[in-house]
Amino acid sequence: MQISLAGTTIELLPQRAIFLPETAVLILGDLHLGKAMHFRKAGIFMPPQSAYKDYETLHLLIQKHQPQHVYFLGDLFHSHHNSEWNQLTAFIGEHPQTMFTLIKGNHDILKAELYRQHNINVIEKALIIDNLIFSHEPLKTLPEGMINVAGHIHPGCVIRSGGRQSLRLPCFYFKDNLLLLPAFGHLTGLQILDRSDAEVFVVFPDKVMVL
Amino acid sequence: MNKLAEDWFEFKGWKPYPFQRNTWKAIDKGFSGLLNAPTGCGKTYAVWFGIIQDYMKRRLSSKKKAAGLHCLWITPLRALSKEIFNAATVVSEDLELPYRIGLRTGDTSASERAGQKKNAPQALITTPESIHILLAGKGYADFFKNLEFVVVDEWHELMGSKRGVLVELALSVLKYLNPQLKIWGISATIGNLDEAEEILLGTQHPKATLIRASVPKKILIETILPDTLDKFPWAGHLGIKLADKILPIIEQSQSTLIFTNTRSQAEIWYQHLLHIQPDLAGVIALHHGSLGEELRQWVEQALHDGILKAVVCTSSLDLGVDFRPVDTVIQIGSAKGVARFLQRAGRSGHYPGATSKIYFLPTHSLEILEGTALRYAAFNDMIESRIPYIRSFDVLIQFMVTLAVSDGFNADILFEQVQTTHCFASITRDEFNECLLLITQGGKMLEAYDEFHKVVLENGLYKVISKKVAMRHRLSIGAIVSDAMMQVKYLGGKYLGSIEEWFISRLKPDDNFWFAGRNLELVMVKDMAAIVRNSKKKKGIVPSWMGGRLPLSSYLTDAIRHKLNEAREQVPDREMTFLQPLFEEQSRRSYLPEENELLIEKIETKEGFHVFMYPFEGKFVHEGMAAIIAYRLGRIQPFSFSIAMNDYGFELLSDQEIPVDEVIAQQLFSLENLSEDIAGSINTTEMARRKFRDIAGIAGLVFQGYPGKQVKAKHLQANSGLFFNVFRDYEKDNLLLRQAYEEVYDFQLEIVRMRRAFERISGHKIVIRHPKQLTPFAFPIFAEVFREKFSNESLEDRMNKIKAQLTKG
Repeated sequence: MQISLAGTTIELLPQRAIFLPETAVLILGDLHLGKAMHFRKAGIFMPPQSAYKDYETLHLLIQKHQPQHVYFLGDLFHSHHNSEWNQLTAFIGEHPQTMFTLIKGNHDILKAELYRQHNINVIEKALIIDNLIFSHEPLKTLPEGMINVAGHIHPGCVIRSGGRQSLRLPCFYFKDNLLLLPAFGHLTGLQILDRSDAEVFVVFPDKVMVL
Repeated sequence: MNKLAEDWFEFKGWKPYPFQRNTWKAIDKGFSGLLNAPTGCGKTYAVWFGIIQDYMKRRLSSKKKAAGLHCLWITPLRALSKEIFNAATVVSEDLELPYRIGLRTGDTSASERAGQKKNAPQALITTPESIHILLAGKGYADFFKNLEFVVVDEWHELMGSKRGVLVELALSVLKYLNPQLKIWGISATIGNLDEAEEILLGTQHPKATLIRASVPKKILIETILPDTLDKFPWAGHLGIKLADKILPIIEQSQSTLIFTNTRSQAEIWYQHLLHIQPDLAGVIALHHGSLGEELRQWVEQALHDGILKAVVCTSSLDLGVDFRPVDTVIQIGSAKGVARFLQRAGRSGHYPGATSKIYFLPTHSLEILEGTALRYAAFNDMIESRIPYIRSFDVLIQFMVTLAVSDGFNADILFEQVQTTHCFASITRDEFNECLLLITQGGKMLEAYDEFHKVVLENGLYKVISKKVAMRHRLSIGAIVSDAMMQVKYLGGKYLGSIEEWFISRLKPDDNFWFAGRNLELVMVKDMAAIVRNSKKKKGIVPSWMGGRLPLSSYLTDAIRHKLNEAREQVPDREMTFLQPLFEEQSRRSYLPEENELLIEKIETKEGFHVFMYPFEGKFVHEGMAAIIAYRLGRIQPFSFSIAMNDYGFELLSDQEIPVDEVIAQQLFSLENLSEDIAGSINTTEMARRKFRDIAGIAGLVFQGYPGKQVKAKHLQANSGLFFNVFRDYEKDNLLLRQAYEEVYDFQLEIVRMRRAFERISGHKIVIRHPKQLTPFAFPIFAEVFREKFSNESLEDRMNKIKAQLTKG
């Protein structure tokens, strides 16, 4: 589904990412790659295969939208270096036509140098496109007329229907000049947010719909 | 003859009971055994004097000084450990015995622990968790090498939980260190005492005995009835409407224990009693498991000293410790089981020959039935069994790492040891190896570039070499899993207790809430603690703690069905006579079923289409039964149901008409393909996911830490639901996932009991009614907040419905 935010056209994708057609930019937050291996290094048996799915989704997304630039909106790689890093760098190598940039998040504790060595640019704080400011954590203050797009929260909502049925689904969440993106990585949880005074775009497997 | 004991009893001016003398004799002859005795009649001394006599004999006969630990005494509660410690210390002091007693629980200071290890006392009073922490320490074999006795107090309580498995595993190691080890259990009366003995001692123990104390005890049960039935609610959990009825009871009694089923209920009752009777200030107190040790100890001491008129409490005061001044007990809401009710009744009237008096306060109309059912069940000795856990691989995995943290273990020897336990009697070498693979390589498959690290194999020994892994493991030992807890402290630092983190996270500074019987205002959250100060506001929210939703036991449901049948025959009885108008209302709106009938009510409300069924089999069986019925209905057409249940029946609610008639209902309760349908229904509900929560905690997937001692596990936080999903998607045959399903069968569905229920109902006549309004039977189920979900509609279909709804709106 397409929305316009501070004059910029944004496609909200059911793969839990956004695409800016005017600039051919793909933005996705909270991948948490390396999480399974991070747990395994600490002796916690998270199945290692659980890591593969997110690469596949991202690959298909790039094929479909052919972005010039992919921005990771923070929490790209979960914590310390581990062997899953090689998988990420191999993935970057397999997409030479695309530029990749990380806007740093709280879990991105690896040195910027390491990312750059593998063709991932690093932005420490925030990225500005048109009147949009992209940051991992929501910004506390915002210049007049600007809108903040952020990740970090992993927003979700509960939808109720007849017969006391309910579903918990990820969502895009817009309130007070802040658009929150759902977490892209599937090894993440959901934080259910209050829907009052907010515009909520629910993510179904095939489609995004406004609530 | 036990000279020490006889002398000491004479010195005290007491006369030993026959069961005490029998126990002394049995221990003297080298027996192990199980002592079945109620609290408050000297069961501790029955075992204790046997043990110290053994020690004194050893000391006299042996030339070298008998050094080191001689006896381990395990209790389920810290409060009880303290009590036993005091009782035992008095004996050693009175008789000037060279028998030193140590206490080791979660509260024991590090320096004291170190002292105990360097210079071991003769006896150590402790908890199952503390023993495992000892087993996680280097050189434990040396520490336990002179151990002769292990006593497990309140074994009936431990046996029905995974803490019982911790005890079984610890005993398997201690028995290996000393094959002559004597084991004694102390248990209240349960339906399966023989099994309890066998589990504790091991099958075919050569010198085992069961000693029963036949100390007769009279119990009076009285139901507190409202003035009129028509003002009493049809649903509810609090019972607060009857509060003024218990004021005179408190007044007339020396000291009263008021038992509630949940901690929030306790908080609410405590406030409410103070509100309607302000004179109680200073003589009424609150006691539950989330309150700080200091507060609880103060209440316990005050109870001993007889300065409290009443204490509102939860199961935190169920066990062990005797409070002599207590002469009256009030149970608020269903006690859920005959044994639990009688145990609570036994908390009053401790003097030999005294009568225990217990009042039952119902929280809604239909629950009044339980008062008479309890009396019937107690009179007919319908005492429940405790079902032991078997094949708890989560505990085994934890135990393996515990041994790997200390001196390391040899796999062949450990396999032999664990096979001797009841819990793992049926474990295969393959299953055992799967556990080993989990802790050494994180799963069955060896993956390329895998960096899994926990336990390593070095020179034939499985060991933990990483200090971080070791430290995290020591902090996670135990089998009680709770949500992340947050300490509650005053600004000045005084510690009040702990509350689930999710509750605090919903509060903002300046919000106020009730806790520890006080109205508190949240000042700030700092370092995993909620800092509070007293608030003068009148209102505030009460934290609701998870857990504690036990089903009615099968004996109690049997008794209720029996009584319900009497309702039709109008057998005179105080409760039944009182409830007669309710039964008439049920007949008028719908139907009052006979013992060989199953009533089904179909009702349409603005919420959708409801089907209520009333098997009277207890909440858990209803949950499973509802899932099976939903599953079978789902074969007719795809459905999404919201399922609610209580101890009397269950409800299926759907947005579509549910096609139930007499013929279909017969098929829904058919015994044909029952096993397949049970398996199918489990996969479509959340039951296994909920069981997995504890398993993930115990097996070390979800790191909890201790409340107040939380070590920051940076970037290692994930909830059990996420693990459940990834195992289901990527490692379906994972041992821990399989365990979750097995536990659903054994403990959630109580499969044996459910099968019996299906057999019973399959012979019943089905009666279907279409009431215009909710009935007295239906209303309490309708009002249940907690609901299970069932759906065999595809996610796509369900989403399409929601999408259609969104498009319309």
